Formats: sequence, C-alpha cells, structure tokens
Amino acid sequence: MASNSVGRWIRSRRLLSFVKSPEFRAEKTSYSSQQCLLHSSSKSMNEESNDLSNQKEATTESEDFRVYQIEGLKKAPSAKRAEQWSKRAPPPRYHSMPIDQDWTNVWPTATTFKWSAIPFPVRQGYVENSSENESVIPSKYANLELMKGPNFLHLTPGHVKKHCKAIKHFCTKWPEGLQTEEDCHKHFPLESITADYVFAGPTLTDDRARKACIKFKLSDLDLDYHAKDKFIRLVGDRYDSATDEVTFESDRCPLKSQNLEYVKFLLTAVYFESWKIEEWEQRKELSDMEKYNWDINKSSKTCLSLLKTIKEIDNASGNETSKLKYLPEDVQDSSSVYDLSEIHQYKTAVEELVNDGENVETLTSYKLAVEKLLNLKTDV
Amino acid sequence: MSFHHLLARSRPFSSSFLCSRGIFSTASLNKNRKSGVPKITPFRTKPLTYEEAVPPSRINVRKGWLSFNTTNLHEEKRAGETTFEDFLVRRFLIGTWHRSLASEVVIKRRHNMVILSFLVSMERLLPRQVYFLQGYTERLLSGWLKMPVKVELQTVASQRDMVFKKI
Repeated sequence: MASNSVGRWIRSRRLLSFVKSPEFRAEKTSYSSQQCLLHSSSKSMNEESNDLSNQKEATTESEDFRVYQIEGLKKAPSAKRAEQWSKRAPPPRYHSMPIDQDWTNVWPTATTFKWSAIPFPVRQGYVENSSENESVIPSKYANLELMKGPNFLHLTPGHVKKHCKAIKHFCTKWPEGLQTEEDCHKHFPLESITADYVFAGPTLTDDRARKACIKFKLSDLDLDYHAKDKFIRLVGDRYDSATDEVTFESDRCPLKSQNLEYVKFLLTAVYFESWKIEEWEQRKELSDMEKYNWDINKSSKTCLSLLKTIKEIDNASGNETSKLKYLPEDVQDSSSVYDLSEIHQYKTAVEELVNDGENVETLTSYKLAVEKLLNLKTDV
Repeated sequence: MSFHHLLARSRPFSSSFLCSRGIFSTASLNKNRKSGVPKITPFRTKPLTYEEAVPPSRINVRKGWLSFNTTNLHEEKRAGETTFEDFLVRRFLIGTWHRSLASEVVIKRRHNMVILSFLVSMERLLPRQVYFLQGYTERLLSGWLKMPVKVELQTVASQRDMVFKKI
C-alpha cells in the first residue's frame, strides 16, 4: 500500500471529512460573526439596531427551558469519523489494473505474495467443518499461508524474456572445434573441480569452498612402462584403474586458489619423479614385479629347454609324423625360438592366466596354446 | 528440632500424597496436554487465527513453516545462531508493533538477506506510523543481525479479519 499517491489520497479524504464535520461549521459561523464586528465601526444606525435585535433574539433563545438530553438516545455525529477515514486503507491495487497491463512492471522482482496486487482469486488453507471460517477456504486477503512459501510471479515468460534480453549483451559464441565431449577432452585434458557454497548467513564465505580437485586420464600423460608403473605406485589410491583416471585433491591451504596451485604442483612433481630411475630400482626382484611377466619368469626357460629336448629326440628318432614341424633347425638360438608364433601364443596365454585369474576364457586359450605348442591331438 | 523429628512429623511419601498435590508422572494422565494446541473455552468464544487453529503436528500438511533457512539441511552450519536470531527478531517485532501485529512473523532467509513478512492491523496505526516502524525495524535489525533486513508487511483493517475459528 506504499506510494505517494496513497498519501495524497488520505490527505484529501481527511480534508473532505473535515468540511463535513460539525467543527468546521462552528468555525465558519464564528468567522462570520467576527467579520460583523469588524465592519460594525462603519455601520449605519439601522444596522446597529439589527445587531441589537439579533442579540436580543439570542438572549430570548438562551432564556428558554433547556431540554434534557438523554445521553446515548440520539446518535451524535461521531467525532472520530475523520480519524477513521484517515485510517481506512485505500482500495486494493488489483481493482484498478487494466487487463492488458505489463505484468513484469507489476511484479518486477522476487517478493512475498501481496494480495492487493494479485488480479486473480487465490485461496489457501484447509477447513475441517462449518465452525472453521464458515467452511470456506480462506481467501487471499489476510492469509499468512500464501505469504509463507516462495512464489514464481517474478518468473513468468515475460520476465524470462526480459532477463535474456538484458544478459544477451554479455554472452559470447561457443568456441569452434569444441562441439563434442571428445573434442573438449582432447583440447582440455585436465579437469579441475571446485565448489562454491550458497547458504543463509551473514557472510557469503565458507571454509568448505577452499577444497580443490583435479582429474585427468593417465593415458594423456607421456609415460613409458617404467614411468607409468612408478606413477601408479606413487599416487596410490588416487588412481582408478577402472576408468584410468587420476584424482588429486587438497584442502590443506586456506584458499581455493592456493589449493588449486598445490594440486597442480603435485601433478608436476609426481610426473618428473616417475621418469627418474633410482639406483635401488635396479635391484627389483621377481617378487617385486607388479604383474606376471613370462619373459623373465622360470616358465620361459623351462619351455625353451623342453623344446630343445624335443628337437634332440626328433633328430635322433627320424620319425617324421611325431616331429614338431614348426621348430627351426637351430634351436640353440633362443631369440629365434621366442619369435615363433606358437611360443608367442603360449606366452600370452600364460600371462593372461596368471594376471587375470583362472576363468573359462583364459583356461581355454591356455589349453589351445599348449596343444599347438606340443602338437597334441585331443580327438584321439 | 532435630532432622529425624521433622521427618517423623512430615506426611508419609505415598501415592495418595502425590495425588493430593497434583503431581502426575504417568503418560496416560498427560495425554491431553499438547504444546501448540489451545484449550477449548466453555462457550467457544476464544478467537483463533489459522496459524493457531492448525496444530504443530499438521505443519507441512495444512500449514507451512514460519522460518525458512538453509541451516537445518544436512552438513550446514549456524543452526543454533539462526534459531536464536529468529527468536530475537520475533520478540523485537512483538514489542515494536505492539498490539498491532495481527499474525505470526514469517522469517525467510535468502543468501545474506533476511525477509520478514507479517500482517499488521491498522486499528491503532496511521499509515505514516507504519512507514516509520517499518524503517525502524529494518534499520535496527540490520545492525544487530549484520544482514540486510527487509520488511514485506501487509495490512489488515482489523484483528477480526484474522479470525479463522472460535473455540
């Protein structure tokens, strides 16, 4: 109800009521009598006599019997009327609203539900029986329930259009060449994750917002076998083998930017550290290996010696049918033996069997590799 | 007089003694005492607003909350401070809008803004007094709470307009 026009309205109403009120009439009469007195100095005799007769009349009137006024019998005009008028609220705004008005000017921002500015009927509440509000759901006037919840009267399509028009000036075009997720990942492999907290309180800062985190795929880093292995060992559980992602997180510094800088430093430090080969790393033994490697294990030597024995027997017997045909003439050269496809298949099968565990696929491939290696016949 | 002598003269601590003093501790006797549920008068003359008529057990069913803030959400802070501030604000408003506060005070907090919405009865107030009190409330509370306080009040012609039912 706050506006200048309202104030003016109230003042004018008060003036109007004052004109109507008996006090005003009394003042008016007294003024006229004063006027008479002022003019009396220049008055003629007959005028004076008129005045005298008037006075006489007044005295005769006053000499009449006074009529006893029973208090409260006649309804006297209320002296408080002017005050009451001034207190009465102006009519609600929705009465004077044109039907084609711009709603965004009526309700420009988020504010509490205001019944006097709502041009449509709304009711909220629950009535159980006729004893409650004459079994009518409370209307929008004097309804606190409607004032409680948030409303969306400031977010109509008209408002949204206006907002968009206002902020369009600040928007820029989406960069070329970043249409897909893969493009984005290719050009920006490092993902940094930070959070801001919005809450109700006297300050907008929150100590939880200092946390910073970076994420990247290990395959995006330029690493060889040793460096990759060392990197994974250094970062520990920050590496997720399922997604090939490394996550660095920090909340040790008081500011977000400091934490972000720190995690980037961590990445740099771990990267260069993983490329270094220390003197003690040369003393890595079979039991220190991160996974089963057929080339350096006993299995490769056993396989080679077995093939050599088979070759010796084959050469001695001279039976063409039972010979291993894929073996070269010279089995003393171990590198040529290792390059054979049968050996390679066996190697892969054994590595898979040990690294991935025993399951139907690894066992079947192992069986096939062994059959091929030793020229076994299963259908016999 | 010795302590033992006093003890001998005092009434025995029995169940009949408890009943005569009106001390009950059983649940069945307290079943009709509930907070926020007003007692019915003999001739049903006590006027109630909607807020008073709906019991607290119906909050979020038939009526809404009176305080809206984020502090009671999971892992949020300042729950105690906010509750105390709300208490302070309500007390202050009852005193400032003395006999003219027609409803409860709804305290909404958005970011660092505190929005107070309530209904004011115009029976004892002039419009200019309402404007003054609105500014007074905003200024003083903003200073105390260290947050901008906004008063979004609405007026009712009389306290009678608020009556929802009589019990």
